[in-house]
Amino acid sequence: MWQYIVLLLPVILPVAAGLIAWKIQRREARNTLVGVSLVANALLVLLAVLFGREELVLWQLTETVPIYFHVDGIARLFALLISCMWAMVGIYSFEYMRHEENENRFYLFYLISLGVLIGLSFSGNLVTMYMFYELMTLMTLPLVLHEMTKEAVAAGIKYLLYSVFGASMALFGIFFFFRYGASIAFTPGGVLTPESMAGHEKLMQWAVFAMIVGFGVKAGMFPLHGWLPTAHPVAPAPASAVLSGVITKAGVLGVIRVVYYLAGAEFIRGTWIQIAWMTLALCTVFMGSMLAYREGLLKKRLAYSTVSQVSYIMTGLSTLNPMGFVGALLHIVCHSVIKNTLFMSAGAIICKTGKTRVDELRGIGKQMPAVIWCFTIVSAALIGIPPTCGFVSKWYLAGGALNLGETAFSWIAPCVLLVSAILTAGYLLPITIGGFFPGHDFDYASLEKKEPGAVMLAPLILLAAAALLIGVFPGFLIRFAEGIAALLM
Amino acid sequence: MRGNMILPLMAFLPMAGAIACYLIGRISKGARNVAVFAVCAVDLAMAAGLFAAVVGGRSAEFCWDGFCGMGLHLKLDGFRAVYALIAGLMWFMTHGLFAPVYFESHYRNRNRYYLFTLLTLGATNGVFLSASLYTTFIFFEIMSLTSYAWVAHDEKEAAMRAAQTYLAVAIIGGMVTLMGLFMLYHRVGTLEIDEIYIACGKVTDKGPLYLVAALIAIGFAAKAGAYPLHIWLPKAHPVAPAPASALLSGILTKTGVFGLLVVSADILPADAAWGRAVLIFGVITMFVGALLALFSVDLKRTLACSSMSQIGFILVGIAMSNLLGHHGGLAAHGALLHMVNHSLIKLVLFMAAGAVYMRLHKLNLNEIRGFGRGKPVLHFAFLMGYLGIIGMPLWNGFVSKSLIHESILEYVEILRESGGAWIPYKVVEMLFLFTGGMTAAYMIKLYVAIFWEKNDPETQKRFDAMGKTPFPAALALGLSGLILPVLGVFSNRLMQGVAGLMQGFMRSEGPKEVLNYFSRANLIGAAESLLIGAALYVFVVRGLLTQRQKDGRRVYVDRWPTWLDLEGLVYRPLLERVLPTCFGMICEVLNHLADWATALLGTCGTALARLMDNLFNAKAFNAVGTFFARIMDEGIDTLVLGLWHGVFGRRHKREAATVGNRFTYACGRLFDRIAAFLNRTLRRKHPIEANFVAAFAAGWDEMRANLRRISWSVSFGLLLMCVGLYIVFAYLLM
Repeated sequence: MWQYIVLLLPVILPVAAGLIAWKIQRREARNTLVGVSLVANALLVLLAVLFGREELVLWQLTETVPIYFHVDGIARLFALLISCMWAMVGIYSFEYMRHEENENRFYLFYLISLGVLIGLSFSGNLVTMYMFYELMTLMTLPLVLHEMTKEAVAAGIKYLLYSVFGASMALFGIFFFFRYGASIAFTPGGVLTPESMAGHEKLMQWAVFAMIVGFGVKAGMFPLHGWLPTAHPVAPAPASAVLSGVITKAGVLGVIRVVYYLAGAEFIRGTWIQIAWMTLALCTVFMGSMLAYREGLLKKRLAYSTVSQVSYIMTGLSTLNPMGFVGALLHIVCHSVIKNTLFMSAGAIICKTGKTRVDELRGIGKQMPAVIWCFTIVSAALIGIPPTCGFVSKWYLAGGALNLGETAFSWIAPCVLLVSAILTAGYLLPITIGGFFPGHDFDYASLEKKEPGAVMLAPLILLAAAALLIGVFPGFLIRFAEGIAALLM
Repeated sequence: MRGNMILPLMAFLPMAGAIACYLIGRISKGARNVAVFAVCAVDLAMAAGLFAAVVGGRSAEFCWDGFCGMGLHLKLDGFRAVYALIAGLMWFMTHGLFAPVYFESHYRNRNRYYLFTLLTLGATNGVFLSASLYTTFIFFEIMSLTSYAWVAHDEKEAAMRAAQTYLAVAIIGGMVTLMGLFMLYHRVGTLEIDEIYIACGKVTDKGPLYLVAALIAIGFAAKAGAYPLHIWLPKAHPVAPAPASALLSGILTKTGVFGLLVVSADILPADAAWGRAVLIFGVITMFVGALLALFSVDLKRTLACSSMSQIGFILVGIAMSNLLGHHGGLAAHGALLHMVNHSLIKLVLFMAAGAVYMRLHKLNLNEIRGFGRGKPVLHFAFLMGYLGIIGMPLWNGFVSKSLIHESILEYVEILRESGGAWIPYKVVEMLFLFTGGMTAAYMIKLYVAIFWEKNDPETQKRFDAMGKTPFPAALALGLSGLILPVLGVFSNRLMQGVAGLMQGFMRSEGPKEVLNYFSRANLIGAAESLLIGAALYVFVVRGLLTQRQKDGRRVYVDRWPTWLDLEGLVYRPLLERVLPTCFGMICEVLNHLADWATALLGTCGTALARLMDNLFNAKAFNAVGTFFARIMDEGIDTLVLGLWHGVFGRRHKREAATVGNRFTYACGRLFDRIAAFLNRTLRRKHPIEANFVAAFAAGWDEMRANLRRISWSVSFGLLLMCVGLYIVFAYLLM
């Protein structure tokens, strides 16, 4: 029995904690509750991942369609990642949110989203996932809307419409899988058998493509990436951190489930879907970096960077070979760690100095050295400078692309990845450089230390250290990802 | 982790030391200097130990599986031991002994400087000890980034600009090399340097290997300062603090050469086509560097350009070794020894430049001339470096230059015998000697200006009053200077021994016959070069590059046209303007594609509805048509507008005045003028009274508002469609 409960608890606990936190008026008490429940949830997820039952049927929707959890490798990876990131950002947010209004409402939805996301990663079939997916959109919407300014509302509506549109495209595919698949449970290698879809292969290809594009909306894949650079900058920094670092990965999770667990890599390999998908992903990689390079607003620059980087993952997935897949999984973890740190640093800068534009950041490294050091380390990781995690994941991503064999993509893809890496250096390093090398005429006399407090700094330092450590010792992650890849291909 | 633990310590101990020194430095500057000295000394001692072990015939390896994915693999052999020793020596001289004196008058950010210096030491050791290109690349990238702090240290405008160039070249070069490594790994399945040699030997189709080799070589060549990727070098070396310039020039460029050696000796060993390509770039680098140095009137810039030129000599040596194949022993020895010599020579010369700069804070030859008079240690050190670099017999540079020269002659001879096209190589040989002459010329220029000429009496008096170089710095200068003639005089023993240790790295077995470095041919070659140099100095430097002023004194003038600068002419405009603008515009279009598509759809939808409205004129259809059209046209709009005003209405107020944009304003002005014109001519009786600027602005705003509403309504339509789909879904499930 407890093995069932341990699967359910990580979903229910945050929701309950959120509801309680909503009603607590004293800040310290509420923060304690939020912090404890976030950490407890991370531990619970660890328990669930280690000892939980593989399957748990929650509700029999119809005779053939249950709502149920199925905890496999991918689910373990995502659940752990999500809960850890959520805890880190949550602890960081205590100091940041002090400057915002409606803290309680923020924490309510912040915690509920966590529960929903854990549910999303545990989902065992398409219908369950779809349910949590829509819930996630609705529950994270208030995070975008939080400041309720005109821009925030407009961005929120844009986010909602893009997401719902994407989900409806995914829904379109669900109908077809329901009809022509052997089942809609996530099965390694896919549910499409030649018998089950006899004569409808073309149709199924379109359905799969629609689902890739549909889930790709959340992952910020061109052409439906428009919500991302609008919504992320207006949200409070902790929200943008998780939106960028974690929520975009929910779209990636959707795509992984569709491609590798429903359609199967075999079904797509070599078809026009793979080509179209990879083209879209590579376009996004380049476009995102280029736009980030030209963007002057720090948070918007980071948002464009997310557009680009999440499509690195998409590129890796679209290679449909084990090496690319491993690279994609590695990059999911790395990008999550990196982007959370970057947004948290940006948040710390905004919160302590009020500066939002990159060209105002001269000498920032002298004001808040620890923050900018963290920023620098994860910048190097995002560019892919060894020995950080981004280097390892890009090594695998490029290797996967090269393994494509005799198509032009086998060299175009690595080229695009590297050009984008150069652009990444171009849009991130100037911040560090201007921050630490403000010029010999910099006025040191009027310099004030603006380092944030320990609670705000600790998650930053931990995650920056993680970016380094994962880079130096990626062995366990690679082995884990290779284990999953071996099941799928 | 297995193998000899000293090897990883060589890389990681200085890095740990860097952090320790940084923390110590926050408490006490003096203690920090002692700590830096200790770290450098320990590194030098370990390197010396390793060198002794190699001389004793031992070797060592170290593997750390899973480090950064593919593992860390270090190895000790002759070449690696020699370079670890040179790195240790250079760091010890420059930062153990020289830097504390040099930085006495620099106050800011010294802690940061030492942190990055020691990090770079660890990374450089890592590059030189690496046994797989993966390891090389890891340390190479760390080194590129950490050495940035050297170039940017001063934070003056020129320094920041040079640092930007340095970083851009390093990052772009690094990524290109990485692409090459991807492809190499994909093709041969390994990045272990020894295995690459075997695997590439088995490859029959060499075509793709050339691409791989070229890609890998680009990043390393950029670091080495080879033309046309040298742009960072003449800018970065002068702006960095002198101890750092010595390292940038003496050892960081050699990490680039290290990579080029791997490419030339392991990926494409004894490959004539590759050799020719390297030769072309080598000759250009050699010549252009010397030319730039000859024109320069800045002490450190001259030395930097000289570095570029000397790297060109090394490249020529590498190229000849590839061209000669099995007979390439001479060339291999020449290239390897010239690497060593150049490192040691530049150590002395840049420290001497530092000794000048730390007193005067000036580098222009006209301003520093005469500074060296009456300063024996400085004079000795500079003289040794000067004689070494121009290839004076009995100094070390002579040996390596002679070897490379001899190998060119050998190749010409071989081609002549076999009837090949030898003339181009004869030209190369002549250029080689001529560049040697240019080297002599620009070095004489420096030497004469600093140590023999006098400045105007007042300044000269001030110079003479400045004391000698303080103790530890003088020791560093003297010791480093002493090495050069020692190596040169005992070259048959020392240089040959070193070359013999190092040759394995180039897969060379050394020259077939026993060498006499002081043979007649070599001495004649050196003499020719030096004569050319003397002639160049008298006629070009004295004649063309100086100017007599009114008071009769000669001043050095910079006659190099400022616009003639590859970076300013090509790279910066291309990378800063052309490419970002072109691709940026494309990306902007892509970025808004979805938004525009929505707007277009909305417009089309509305137009369609209007069209239907007009088409259905028949009475029966009219009512129905109008009804649907109205719903499509207005219904959702009304709903959205209602929502907008009801829910969000309080939050935004309509701006009072309509402004429009530049386009509407321009059109409005145009129309206003036309109207005014008409009012004066044709329509004097019925003047037009409209204000077109305002009208257009209002129209524009309304259009935008309409477009926004339309896109809202379409979005809302999509939302409703989704709801519809849910219903269908629910129905299907039932």
